[in-house]
Amino acid sequence: MKDLKHLIYFENLLQEANNELVQQGKADGKRAIGYTCYFMPEVLLDLPGCFSVRLRAPRCTSPDIATYYLSGRVCHYARSLMERALEGGYNFLDAQMATETCTATCRFQEHLQQKHLDSVEDMRIIDNDDFFCEFTDIPFKNTENSYQHFETQLRAHVLEPLHEHFGIDVSDDAIRKAVEEHNEVCRLINEIGEYRKLDNPTITGYEFHVIQLVSLVCPKYLILPYLRETAEEMKTREPNLKKEFRCKVVLAGSENDDPDFTKLVEGCGALVVCDRFCYGAVESRVPIVLEEGKSPLRCIAEHYLKTSNCPRFMPQDEMRARKKRLADLAREYHADGIIVASNKFCEYWSYERVIDTFILKRDYGIPVCSIEKEYINSASGQLRTRFQAFVESIEIKQIQEGK
Amino acid sequence: MAKKNPIKAVKDFWYGKPHTAEEGGRRLGELYEDKTGLLKHREWRGVKDTFYYMYNIWGYNYVHMVLDILKFSNNPIDFVKGTWRYRWMGQTYLPVIHWFERGLQGMRGEALAASAWHYRAMVSASIHQICNFFNADTRLHGGKKNDAYMHTIYANETVCGTLFYPWKDAGYQYLPMEMIPYFVTCHVNSHTVLNYIDAVQSIGLPGDPCPMCQAESGLFVLDDVPDSSPMVITCNEACDASVSTSTLQDWFADKPLFALPIPMQFDDPLVKKYCMNEIEECWKFIEEQTGVPFNWDSMVKYLERQNKLQRDEWEKWDVASKTDYYPVNGVAQALFRIYSTQYGIQTSCWEEASEKVKKIMYKCVEKKINPFPQTRHRVIAWSCAPLYFSNWCTWAYNCWGLNTIINMDSLMFDMEIRTDSYDNMLEDMATYHMWAPMRRMAVGGMHHIFELWDYMKRFNCDMVAMYDQLQCKGMQGVHGLFEDEFRKRNINAFWIPHALPDCRTVSRAEIRRQINDYMTTVMHEEPLDPSLLDFDDSMTW
Amino acid sequence: MKKLGKFLFKFCFVFVLLNALLFVVFFFDLDGKLMFNVVEPFLKKHYDNMERKDVLKEPYDLDKFPEYKY
Repeated sequence: MKDLKHLIYFENLLQEANNELVQQGKADGKRAIGYTCYFMPEVLLDLPGCFSVRLRAPRCTSPDIATYYLSGRVCHYARSLMERALEGGYNFLDAQMATETCTATCRFQEHLQQKHLDSVEDMRIIDNDDFFCEFTDIPFKNTENSYQHFETQLRAHVLEPLHEHFGIDVSDDAIRKAVEEHNEVCRLINEIGEYRKLDNPTITGYEFHVIQLVSLVCPKYLILPYLRETAEEMKTREPNLKKEFRCKVVLAGSENDDPDFTKLVEGCGALVVCDRFCYGAVESRVPIVLEEGKSPLRCIAEHYLKTSNCPRFMPQDEMRARKKRLADLAREYHADGIIVASNKFCEYWSYERVIDTFILKRDYGIPVCSIEKEYINSASGQLRTRFQAFVESIEIKQIQEGK
Repeated sequence: MAKKNPIKAVKDFWYGKPHTAEEGGRRLGELYEDKTGLLKHREWRGVKDTFYYMYNIWGYNYVHMVLDILKFSNNPIDFVKGTWRYRWMGQTYLPVIHWFERGLQGMRGEALAASAWHYRAMVSASIHQICNFFNADTRLHGGKKNDAYMHTIYANETVCGTLFYPWKDAGYQYLPMEMIPYFVTCHVNSHTVLNYIDAVQSIGLPGDPCPMCQAESGLFVLDDVPDSSPMVITCNEACDASVSTSTLQDWFADKPLFALPIPMQFDDPLVKKYCMNEIEECWKFIEEQTGVPFNWDSMVKYLERQNKLQRDEWEKWDVASKTDYYPVNGVAQALFRIYSTQYGIQTSCWEEASEKVKKIMYKCVEKKINPFPQTRHRVIAWSCAPLYFSNWCTWAYNCWGLNTIINMDSLMFDMEIRTDSYDNMLEDMATYHMWAPMRRMAVGGMHHIFELWDYMKRFNCDMVAMYDQLQCKGMQGVHGLFEDEFRKRNINAFWIPHALPDCRTVSRAEIRRQINDYMTTVMHEEPLDPSLLDFDDSMTW
Repeated sequence: MKKLGKFLFKFCFVFVLLNALLFVVFFFDLDGKLMFNVVEPFLKKHYDNMERKDVLKEPYDLDKFPEYKY
């Protein structure tokens, strides 16, 4: 396939959290608002006057100082973020909208917060006088009580602080405008992602991963022109005559903002056609529907709780349904198998991975490759062996089934 | 050979050997058999205390273990069948008296008596739960769902028993699913739980999630949870792994399940309403499952008894914090508090024990008896304790004079619940629910974890025993800040690394070594009983 | 009177003997040794060899239970 025009530019944008477009956004007088988790609605951080940056710590391989603070026994992602913060890599942030959605990232963000300073001296990790860190309580269920609670929380801990600190317009009209822009990003990403459903897809999982990531870490208004152009380019992109993959897989699991991991999977012959992991597009690029008779904020609160497939959700029906949803994704994207990858020390996905491994195979007949990985994949040799074996097993299955 | 002093020999016989090496002390470490932790012989504590121990603790508890079974069991044969069926039962509860031994070693007089009453209450409450399991268990009744089964409400062990008082007078019994099969077993016999941890890892779970949650899941993997209730209430307390454990438990239990989450940011006043609604939804679920409505009178009745128990505890803490006359040792104090608050007023054993302890305590106050006369440091133990070595406090007192006055786990649920109106009760209940063990001060908000300094002051402590649960992501995530703060505040603190129930990760000997190193290299102190410094109890219960 | 005395003597003798035996069990931790060396290994063997249900074969039905949302 012909190279995508902006791919190298996108790749470069992913080399630093404070990338070229973030710098441009700041230069335009906008506030940079960091967050880590899907449950912090990025659309609210993209209100006029500010922009969201989902935190990553690219190329962080040795988080030594963070390991002193968080110990070596919490996930590498949280430690890498902490290390990058201690290095000054997030000093461009004007605020961090924190969530206690997993313990490790919560602890990282608590180190940024100033509220506990009655007992702990201000570490001032983010060297920015305007900086503040605010926590939002995220419900564990998608019920009426949870929707109400989430709406209240978002108003009190996202909208009001943004308005108070930076004078951001948080009116319904402003939210509608942000939703409109957000939905355009979603539409473009989904349009690009649709090509993964083709028999011989015209986009690789790696390319899509890169595109999805830049949409999370750059100001929307600055990345949109590039996305539009890429979507246009995709319309005429020709596939390789010969399929360069041996099977198609859904990549599911915990935090993954490393496109090189997707590249590693694809290097073993498994084309990643769907990205059902944190930082993936399956949930985050579902357009937000603003319903009549409901406030935009309420719609956003419901949207994020209804679309999540996070193993953090606890209702019985939800725990069971998300396995089926994963199986449905495999069918929708014509995948031959599912790779479930959890980051080491991620407790949610360690358990979910175990259940997925049994249930998806037993009840839905989908082959599953279950692996544990690091934030930065230092163990790529071992992983490569696992993926190659998985691809071979799928091929053998296909031969046995006469495909 | 040194000539024996006959006067000292008579005194030692009558009063027991003195504590310290300088006085020709008792050398408790020499009583152990190598590796097993069994005793070559029990300590001679003097005539009075030896026979008090033999009759009023050892004999009394053996007899009452049988009487409790007869009292709480619908059919004692079920108890025998249950012992044969469940590993956690048979392997654990027979050595229960040895658990007393480990916790009460070296204690004398009022400390011995008062601490033993706390143990007695814990054993009684445990038998109450075991009998309730077996009374209702379909596996022991040919698959029949009997009346007891229909009157049992299963909940995750971290859901407080208080929530179920409204159905108590209608004959419904709350049973924390894992409290006996997992939590209590770790204290009594640490071998049992290893089977459950291995079982869950055998189906693919990595070894790094919280071992408590691993064991809770492993119980289900080994099919070792009685089938004693038609429903389950689960919870996210205390951490991510608890949430995920619910997922496995849902699969393997396959019963109607209600998830009762605790809000994470529990200091935020806005979360209270949400939490109150969740609790009410949980009550609706129970009403739906049982067909029995919420009973306010039953709620009030048991809450008032619980509040009284809480006030008693405050009375005890008051003495512990302001005087040297508090007679309960560190392990008995901490475990009694965790067991009683978690299980709630399901039996009267807590209140009975508390009354007895108060009586002993006031005797100490009136007669100015210091039950721990060799105290060198008043210690506050912070974070989650090693379950397989909860009696480290007893060892630390005997060896180094480190007297653990209070433990973080004791400070959970530290409140009364108002009963003057439904709204007030519900509001307090939400707070109570959010102040659950570990949630508030281990995994919860960072600033609560640093309440340590306030409690140090309140309990007049000069040293911190900082538990370092290696697989607790919440506490690992504040490790560095604690190091910084200890240095900045010039606080004497030693770390106790452990893996909650799993004695294979950090052995008891290693924990002792770490404390020994701190006491010699940092504090430059000499042990009171050098025989306890180093011994091999690697195979012990 | 003599009979009563004899009975009392016997009673006291048995009482003292029982207490002495009890003391021996207590003092030398014979209960612990019995549990550790005999009872626990026996029970362990029993539990290790017990047939257990394969819980991984448990159904995982989507619609078995209603949504408990109020």
